[in-house]
Amino acid sequence: MRFFRAALRRLAGVFTGHRADAELQEELRAHLEMETAEHIRRGMDPAAARRQALLTAGGLTQAAEAVHDQRGLPWIEHIAADVRYALRTLRHSPAFTAVVVITLALGIGANTAIFSVVRGVLLKPLPNRDGDRLLYLRQSADGQGQANISFSVPEVRDLRTGVPSLGGIAEYSPWNLTLQGDDGAVRLDVGLVTGNYFDVMGLSPVLGRLTRPSDDGPGVPPVMIITHTFWMKRFGGDPSIVGKQVKLDAQSVTVIGVLQPAPFFPDRIDALLNMVASPHHVSAQMVQNRVHRMTEVVARLAPGASVAQARSEVAAVYARMQRDYKEAYNPGSHYRITVTPFKEALGERARLTLWLLMGAAAFVMIISAANVANLTLMRGVRREHELVVRAALGAGVARLRRLLLVENLLLTLVGAVLGVIIAIFGVQLLISLAARYSPRANEIRLDGVVLGFTLALSVTLALLLSFIASLPREGTFASWISAGVRRMSGSLRKQRLQRGLVVAQVAVSVVLLAGAGLLTRTMVRLSEVDSGLRTEEVLALDVPLLQLSSAASGGTDPMAWFRRLMEMDAIAKQQYERMRTEIRALPGVNEAGLGSSMPLTTSMLTFEVKAEARAIDVGEAVPHADVRTASPDYFRASGIPLLRGREFTSTDQASSGLVVIVNKTFADQFFPGEDPVEKRIAWTGPLLKLSPISGDWRTIVGVTGNTRDGGLDAAPRATVFMPFTQMISISGALVIRADSNAPGLVAAVTRVVHRIAPQAPIVSVLTVAQIKDQSVAPRRLNAALVSSFGVLAVIIAAVGIAGVLAFSVSARTNEIGIRMSLGADRGRVQRMILKEGAALLAIGVVLGVAGAWVAGGIIRGLLFGVAPHDPATLIGVAVMMAAIGVVACWIPAVRAARIDPAITMRSA
Amino acid sequence: MADKLDVQPGTLALMILRTLEVLGPLHGYGIARRIEDTAQHRLTLNYGTLYPALLKLEQEGFIHAEWRQSENNRRAKFYALSAAGRKQLARETRDWHRTADLIAAFLAPKREAP
Repeated sequence: MRFFRAALRRLAGVFTGHRADAELQEELRAHLEMETAEHIRRGMDPAAARRQALLTAGGLTQAAEAVHDQRGLPWIEHIAADVRYALRTLRHSPAFTAVVVITLALGIGANTAIFSVVRGVLLKPLPNRDGDRLLYLRQSADGQGQANISFSVPEVRDLRTGVPSLGGIAEYSPWNLTLQGDDGAVRLDVGLVTGNYFDVMGLSPVLGRLTRPSDDGPGVPPVMIITHTFWMKRFGGDPSIVGKQVKLDAQSVTVIGVLQPAPFFPDRIDALLNMVASPHHVSAQMVQNRVHRMTEVVARLAPGASVAQARSEVAAVYARMQRDYKEAYNPGSHYRITVTPFKEALGERARLTLWLLMGAAAFVMIISAANVANLTLMRGVRREHELVVRAALGAGVARLRRLLLVENLLLTLVGAVLGVIIAIFGVQLLISLAARYSPRANEIRLDGVVLGFTLALSVTLALLLSFIASLPREGTFASWISAGVRRMSGSLRKQRLQRGLVVAQVAVSVVLLAGAGLLTRTMVRLSEVDSGLRTEEVLALDVPLLQLSSAASGGTDPMAWFRRLMEMDAIAKQQYERMRTEIRALPGVNEAGLGSSMPLTTSMLTFEVKAEARAIDVGEAVPHADVRTASPDYFRASGIPLLRGREFTSTDQASSGLVVIVNKTFADQFFPGEDPVEKRIAWTGPLLKLSPISGDWRTIVGVTGNTRDGGLDAAPRATVFMPFTQMISISGALVIRADSNAPGLVAAVTRVVHRIAPQAPIVSVLTVAQIKDQSVAPRRLNAALVSSFGVLAVIIAAVGIAGVLAFSVSARTNEIGIRMSLGADRGRVQRMILKEGAALLAIGVVLGVAGAWVAGGIIRGLLFGVAPHDPATLIGVAVMMAAIGVVACWIPAVRAARIDPAITMRSA
Repeated sequence: MADKLDVQPGTLALMILRTLEVLGPLHGYGIARRIEDTAQHRLTLNYGTLYPALLKLEQEGFIHAEWRQSENNRRAKFYALSAAGRKQLARETRDWHRTADLIAAFLAPKREAP
C-alpha cells in the first residue's frame, strides 16, 4: 500500500514539478543561510563562512536535480523527451517513415485479421460450459456416403450404460420441419433432442427455458427452443416470441425459449424440439432398431475422466456390440467409432485452410520485418554521425539504445494502428470465407486477445529492430568519437546481415508465390472439371411438399402411417406435375423436369444395393448407391447425357414394371465390361424395412453420364435413378432449361409454385451455374488471398533488393569512382553491381524452391488436380522471382554506372 | 575529509526519523546538524543526499512538512514525524538491532575448534 501511495505521489509530482521547484530553491537557500549564519556566529568572516557552507552543501544544482528525480518519475520524463525527439527525427525523413509504416501496417494487418479468424474458429474456448470436456462421437463405415452414419437409439443406450467415463450423452437427431408464417412457409433445420441435451451440452437460455428430462414424455406437448441466430434472423430478436404457438408441419408447437449463441455440428440448426415433436422418433422402430441410425451424439467427460480413457472404454463397448449383433455390423464394411473433442470436430474442415493462411500471413510479416530491419540498418549507418555526437555529449549506450527503441516503438505502433484498421476490413471478408468451413464463423472478433496479439507482435518487432542496430560497447566511445565524422561502418558484419535478410525475403517470397500458384491452379482445374451436365441457362428449385411428420401424426400404427403417407404422396405428385406443366408453358422455357434433388447436389438418401447374380465377396464393403428420382424430361432439362438405352417415358408409371437408369460410375462398378441395360438390381439391407421403398428387382433401361453431385473435387458417386412416379417423393426439385436468361425466370416460376402449393417452402432457387460455383468459391477465395499475400511479398522483397543494392552502391561510391578512373567502363560497373544482386537472388530462389517443396507437401490436402511438387509451378515461380529481382537490381546498377569519377574523387 | 564515511543506503531514513522523534519538528538544516553532531562529524551529509531522502519519507507518509518561522525568525520548512512514521521507526529500529547483532556475531573473533 505504502509503495502505491508513494508511486501515486510521484506520478502527481511529474505534473506539479514547477511549483515544487521554486519551493525547493527557497528551502535550500534557507539551509545555506542558516549554515552561513552559524559559521559567522562561530567567528568566521562572512565570505569564508559562505564558502564553507557551500562546500558542505555539495552543489546546489545537483541537489535540486536529485530532489527533482525523487519527486517525479524521471523515466517518464525521459521517455517523453525521447518521444518528442523521435517524432522530430521521423518527421525529417518522411520517405523512410512512410515506407516503414506502410510495410508494417500491411504485415501487421494481415496477421491480425487472420489471427482473429484462427482464434475465433479454432482456439477460443467454446461458449458451452466446460466446453473442452465435450466429445463428438462419430460412427463410420466403408462405402459411399458412410463417412458419418450417426447412431441408432439402441447403440446410444449401450454406450450410455457401458462407458462410465462419459458423464452424460446428449442425443440429437437432425430433422426438417416446415414453419408456416404470415409471409409464407420456411423450411427449418431442426434437432430433436433428449431432455438431458442442454445439460450435457452446457448451454443456457437467453430467454425462457430449455427442455429437461420431463419433456421426454410420455404425454407431454411438443415444445421448441430457437437458436440465437434464427431468433435474430427470423424474429428480429423479438422477446415476445417466447410463449407463442407456431405451426410446424401440421402441428402446433409452443416456443419455450431462446438458446444462447452456440455452434452446432455437423449441421447448422434453426431450432431444437423435444423428441415427441416427431411421432416417428418415439416409435418402436426408432427406439428398438439397431440399424436405424439417425442420432448424433455429443458426450461430456465424467469428472476426472480423460479422453484416452473414454476412447478405450468406447472401443471396448463397441467391440462387444459388434460381437453381440453381428447382423448390424458387416465386417467387410469396417464399422468404427471415433471420439473427437467437440471443439476439434467443429474446426476440422477449417483447420488446414486457416493454418495455411496464418502461415502465409506470417511469411508476409517476416518479409516486412526483414525489409524494415534493412531500412533501419541503412538509416543507422547514415545516423552514425549523429549518434557519435550524442555520445560525445555524454549519452550512454543505454540511453542511445532507449532512443532507438522509442523510435522503433513509435514506428511499429503507428504501423499496428493502421494494421488494425486494415484488419477490420479484412475480417469482414474472412468471416464469409470462414462461414463456409466452420460453424463458429460468427464468433470471429477483433477482441482484446487479438489486439493483445497485435500489440505483442509490434513490441517484439520494435525490440528486434532496436537490437540489430550495432551500438559500441560501453567504454569504446573514445574510438568512435575520435573517428569523428568519418563513416564507421559499411562493416562486413552489418552488410552480411543485410544480405542475409534479402536472401530470406526472396526465399520466403518464392514459397508464398509457389503456394499461390498451386492454389490458383487448383481453382482453375476445379472450374475446368466437367460437371457432367450443360450448366448454361438451367434453373433449379428445391421444393419439398411432403411433410413426413404430418403423415405420422395420425397415429403410431405403422400401417395407418404408411397409408396416410401414400395418400399425401399422391396429392404431392399431382401438385408437382401441375407445377411442371405450368412452368413448361411459361415463355422462354424449353424443358422442365422433376426429380428428387437438384442437379449437382447430394441426394438425401443412400441405400445398400445389389445386382442380380452378383454376390458380394467376403470382406468386401457393402455397396451403396445414391437414390434419386427423375421424370422423363429431367435429364434433358439438366443436360445430363444418356450414354446407353432409353430415358424414362410417360409409360413408366407406378403400376407398370419397375425400371431404373444408372449412372456410369454405377455401371462400371457393378457391370465392368458389360452392357448393364436389361440387367436387374434391387435395393437391399436392413434399412429397407424402415422405408417405403420396396426391395423388388428393378430393370436397368438406361445409363447416363456422371455428374459431380458430391462437389467438383469429389469423385462421381454411384447413382440409381428411379422414375419420379415409382418412388415416394420425400423431396422434390424442379429443373428448368431456358432459352436465355434463366435467372430472369425466378419470379414467374416461384409465382407458379406458390399458387399451386401455398404451404410449401422453397428451400432454394439457384441456377446450376451458381450451384457449380459454390463448389469453387471457397477455393477461389483461398487462392486470391494467398496470391495477394504472394504479390505483396514480391513487391516488398523487390524493394528490399533494390534498397540494399542502392545502399551498397552509395557505400562504394569512392571505390567505383577509383575503378572507373582506372579504366573500368560503365558496362563493367553495371555488371559488377548486377552480379552482386544476382548472387543474392540466386541463393534466395534456391532456398525458396526447397521451402516450396516442403510447403507443397503440407498443403497437399487443399490441392486438387495439381501435384504438391508440381514442377511447372515451381519453375514458373522461380523464373518470375528471378525476373522481378533482376529488374529490381537494374535500377541501382544503372545508377552505379552513372557515377562520375571526377566528382567522387574530388569529394572523397 | 578522507576518513569521513558516506551514508549507508537505507540508514539515512532511520537517522532522520530518529532525529525527529527526539527533537520534534525540525527543518532540514537542523536535521543535518543533529545527524552530523551525533555522528561526531564522521559523516558527510550534502544537500543532494538529505533532501531527496526527506522527500521520499514525505511521499511515503512517514513525515509531513510545513512552512514556519524558525527560532531566529527565518521562514523554513519544518518536518515532523507522523503516526505512520513513528511505527516505521520502531520497526526499523528493531530490524536494525537484529541485523547489527547478526553482523556482530559473524564478525566476532574466530574461536579455536575444540
